[in-house]
Amino acid sequence: MRLLLQLFKSFMIIGIGAYGGGLVTIPLIQHEIVGARGWLLFDEMASLLAIAQMTPGPIAVNAATFVGFRIAGLAGAAVATFGVVLPALSILFIGAPLLDRMKANRHAAIFREGLQVGVLSLLFYATWAYGSVAVGSLVQFFMAAGAFLTLVLTEGKVHPILVVLACGVLGLFLF
Amino acid sequence: MREETFSRNGSEDKITFLQIFWTYFKIGLFTLGGGFAMAAILRHELVLKRGWISDYEFMSEMSTATLIPGAVAVNMAYLQGRRLRGKRGALTASFGVILPSFLIILFIALFALPYFQNPRVKAFLKGCSLAIAGQIAYAAYIFGRRHLNNIQNMAICAAGLVLLFVFRVHPVLAVVSAGALGYFLCRRRDKRAEISTGEGGV
Repeated sequence: MRLLLQLFKSFMIIGIGAYGGGLVTIPLIQHEIVGARGWLLFDEMASLLAIAQMTPGPIAVNAATFVGFRIAGLAGAAVATFGVVLPALSILFIGAPLLDRMKANRHAAIFREGLQVGVLSLLFYATWAYGSVAVGSLVQFFMAAGAFLTLVLTEGKVHPILVVLACGVLGLFLF
Repeated sequence: MREETFSRNGSEDKITFLQIFWTYFKIGLFTLGGGFAMAAILRHELVLKRGWISDYEFMSEMSTATLIPGAVAVNMAYLQGRRLRGKRGALTASFGVILPSFLIILFIALFALPYFQNPRVKAFLKGCSLAIAGQIAYAAYIFGRRHLNNIQNMAICAAGLVLLFVFRVHPVLAVVSAGALGYFLCRRRDKRAEISTGEGGV
């Protein structure tokens, strides 16, 4: 029961912080699940995230279900998934009529711009925090760099999942 | 109440909760790759095919969905469901879009998790995880290109990095602190701009 409560809390924090795209949830999951709680090893988390990325649906929801299941079974999956969507749904439930007005509000717009720059810091941090653990050899570095360059040079027109699959197949031969 | 208007006006062919659930369930089931990939399919289904929502409303809800934290797809489902059938419609649509992800992942977890120790599977997933490292770096690159175009934003970004790397602040707190700092810095810049152009507040 305590485990479920902690799981719920962790994923609620992840749900609050997931601002600006699914990849932003990765450093949050790494911080909460691998760092603060030690529920999973980094490699386990990375595998679950890879699957979460390749299956339909938002990465935050997929990751919550998967990590929750891995840590505490079916109840864990349900609790983590509920936790990750609860912050957004609560905000919408209470504040949906206000949000349209907030869009026009200049103060809210300035604050948002700051938040987005904060997310940018988090992404730089995540590149290091995730990358430095994921990359263990020169070959692996070149694979990660290759994925990055592919996305940069094609301006993201190659579907990210194709890049993930390609690296997976390459991994089959190399590792 | 604006949220009731659609069902009242369209009483001759009221959209049922089951229709809402099924539409979002299908979208949740077949969309790979996050909120913005889903947006294109949502628009096709809701605006073009079914005509439930106008293009203008769709774009407006899309921008509201990105305003708040959480998965864009879920937020959009909530807002559109709310437009179609009020709060209960909103919860129906959100539940519909989440359920397929939940079931698919459960299915994979039940049947595939034991194979994760298999060396071949491990090698494949290791490769995938390296691609994700590249993706995170790419997201940083895109965000950086968009936001690092003035000195204030660079300062905020640097402050965020110091909080994360040096002070080891919780990531969520670091993002919110950056937002607050940004507000403080840019509000002053805004005031100066107002004085120089002689325009008052809105």
